[in-house]
Amino acid sequence: MAEAEPSSGQKNDDQLFSFSNTSLKQRITQKHADQHATSDTTLIFQTFDSVNGTYEEDRISMSSQDSGIPTLEINPPEHIHARATTAERVIPPHDDKPATLNLEISEGSLIKASTFPRCDFDFVRLHAPNGLSSAACKGTLNRSDDFSVCSVSSLSTEFSTTLSVSNEDFLDFMVTSESSAVVTFENEDALNRFDHSLSPPSDFHKKLSSPQRPSVEISTPKETRSKTPAPLISFFHRNLPAKPEEEAQKHRQEYEEMVAQAKKRELKEAQKRKKQLEDRCKLEESIGNAALTWSQEILPNWQSMCSSKRVRDLWWQGLPPSVRGKVWSLAIGNDLNITDELYNICLSRAKEKWNTFVASTSAAETDAQDAGLSLADREASLELIKLDISRTFPHLCIFQEGGPYHDVLHSILGAYTCYRPDVGYVQGMSFIAAVLILNMDTADAFIAFTNLLNKPCQMAFYRVDHSLMLTYFAAFEVFFEENLPKLFAHFKENNLSSDIYLIDWIFTLYSKSLPLDIACRVWDVFCRDGEEFLFRTALGILRLYEDILTHMDFIHIAQFLTRLPDDISADEIFSSVTTVNMNCRNKRWPQVLQSLLKGQDRSSPLLKR
Amino acid sequence: MSETYDFLFKFLVIGNAGTGKSCLLHQFIEKRFKDDSNHTIGVEFGSKIISVVNKSVKLQIWDTAGQERFRSVTRSYYRGAAGALLVYDITSRETYNALTNWLTDARMLASQNIVIILCGNKKDLDADREVTFLEASRFAQENELMFLETSALTGENVEEAFVQCARKILNKIESGELDPERMGSGIQYGDAALRQLRSPRRAQAESVQECGC
Repeated sequence: MAEAEPSSGQKNDDQLFSFSNTSLKQRITQKHADQHATSDTTLIFQTFDSVNGTYEEDRISMSSQDSGIPTLEINPPEHIHARATTAERVIPPHDDKPATLNLEISEGSLIKASTFPRCDFDFVRLHAPNGLSSAACKGTLNRSDDFSVCSVSSLSTEFSTTLSVSNEDFLDFMVTSESSAVVTFENEDALNRFDHSLSPPSDFHKKLSSPQRPSVEISTPKETRSKTPAPLISFFHRNLPAKPEEEAQKHRQEYEEMVAQAKKRELKEAQKRKKQLEDRCKLEESIGNAALTWSQEILPNWQSMCSSKRVRDLWWQGLPPSVRGKVWSLAIGNDLNITDELYNICLSRAKEKWNTFVASTSAAETDAQDAGLSLADREASLELIKLDISRTFPHLCIFQEGGPYHDVLHSILGAYTCYRPDVGYVQGMSFIAAVLILNMDTADAFIAFTNLLNKPCQMAFYRVDHSLMLTYFAAFEVFFEENLPKLFAHFKENNLSSDIYLIDWIFTLYSKSLPLDIACRVWDVFCRDGEEFLFRTALGILRLYEDILTHMDFIHIAQFLTRLPDDISADEIFSSVTTVNMNCRNKRWPQVLQSLLKGQDRSSPLLKR
Repeated sequence: MSETYDFLFKFLVIGNAGTGKSCLLHQFIEKRFKDDSNHTIGVEFGSKIISVVNKSVKLQIWDTAGQERFRSVTRSYYRGAAGALLVYDITSRETYNALTNWLTDARMLASQNIVIILCGNKKDLDADREVTFLEASRFAQENELMFLETSALTGENVEEAFVQCARKILNKIESGELDPERMGSGIQYGDAALRQLRSPRRAQAESVQECGC
């Protein structure tokens, strides 16, 4: 058992144990011949189950590789005594000189106490089928903090081991740690908790101590077997010819390179992890702070604060999810004075309708034919709600039949058709209702839903007032031409009118075309700034992809804009939106829209055919 | 774009909501069934180059929203379509009953010579069938439509529907029944066709550029 106590300065020597012993080699060869052993080494991991008092075994076979130095990677669990032994039983380490392999616990290492709920004593037995100790072969003990090479997770340990055998003339036994290439403890706390004993196989139950490497100790368990060779270290020194200096130098160099590389990699990884962690912490902290500010400062004083610059700035950065629903509700308002009671009335009426509709489907069909299309459309919209609910955010799997929000979504849409039978259900509504449901409770969602749809722009679209929609598109195109003249011209050249992409974006308030978290941020500012922001966002998206779009033809632009890339980032969009100028010849959005509404010039420059 | 094709046809996919229009398009282009599809708001697009009677034809497909309420919006997309898939759901008589309305719109608003193929989709759900093959076939004959029963789920007849429709259009072009150069025909020459047209036989066709329609 090797105990390396090293510091980075010593590591070169400390970690390289060269065992040169001809007789050992002979012995190995003999054993090989005797037992027809393959070069495969089987690792048996024995986990002592303190509850049942049994051992659990996992076997992992590994082939030695000609090229690479086989490695034994160990991710130490808490309080693990790892031993290498050919014997079935586990020999306790020597009392005086505990065969302890101290492993450095790096900062980012994953130490999950919960991972090892039951192993006070876990034993890792290294078992060579040829009866040889694996450690007798050239091997590297290599500890990895982050991941195990072997599937050791099944052992309930993070102790991963790779071991293999090479048939080189001399045998090196190396213990390295990826962290520092030094098998040591730098973490005091961990030192106490991590006591890794790696005892040598019974063949080597001898003291191994190298004069040149005083910090290395191989302890010998008291209990040794008859065939155990002489104390390991003397055994090697006496019987193996010295490694040629050249070769030793070469190996040392190779080893150092490996260590240096591993260390570099480790450092990089650690830095990356640290950065990620820092970023996440920062983000969480800022969200936490913002949530606190919103809930303790802003929301109690909503009326006086909501239009202050500070609040508006904070608002732009995105609402914390915990207060999002509340802020949306307040910002959307309740001009319609919808109450919970009214919602319940509408809902029960909707339920009645559904029941009678289901009961008399055939009757309704003939009625519908008599009464013309409108009734058929009404009735169909009840069916359509059902159909569309299952097609609303299908990837979230929460609105679909059997999902937790299926009934809620159904209820809100049904209640709305009773509240506004003149509007009824229109495709796209299910997305709006779904986003609201995700952020507030049912009655509040209904109140927000009805009031949101009652806004002029939404009403124009959901009543599918085509000429009014075209006016909105025309107003959009005024700002489009102002902000992105080149792209505007390119679209015009390709006969690509803005309705092709705007319809989906405006109807669903981007919840279908943008990733949900980004859509919610658009909603945040939409609640603050109103309809203008929807069109501003559209310009932001066009600006963001201007370079790509100017090189596309009609069908590719249309496909691109009706199916935006998935990897779109909120920061990119929002910084692009910031640069959009919603001021055209001293006219802002409302004025442009008004003048278009007044002047009968309703058709957009592009839509004029 | 570096694509070469002889012709570009504008295609529509129309029919009631929930009949599987977007799934047909997805199956045609991606060769697999889209089981988590959203409903289409407004219009979505697809394009694919297919090879029909030694010609490569690029289909520019407009997949429209099916809800009746969107009719006023989707109608504006019919203009200049050369072909259309008129889709109903064989398990829903309602979607079949609506065909006449869709057909009237298409004939009125798209090009006069629009080639329409009737697609009875969801063929895989034969157990729930509400519309027989025979009656749909009769309806197709009466209205001079081609007809196929398709399954966007299994892919059965999906490619065929698009290809047959494109073939019919090509035949009409060859027979002179359709003039690709007429505005609003829904047909454009691709680069490859232009090269052919520049052959001595039709030197005057040099002036033909991709007609913007």
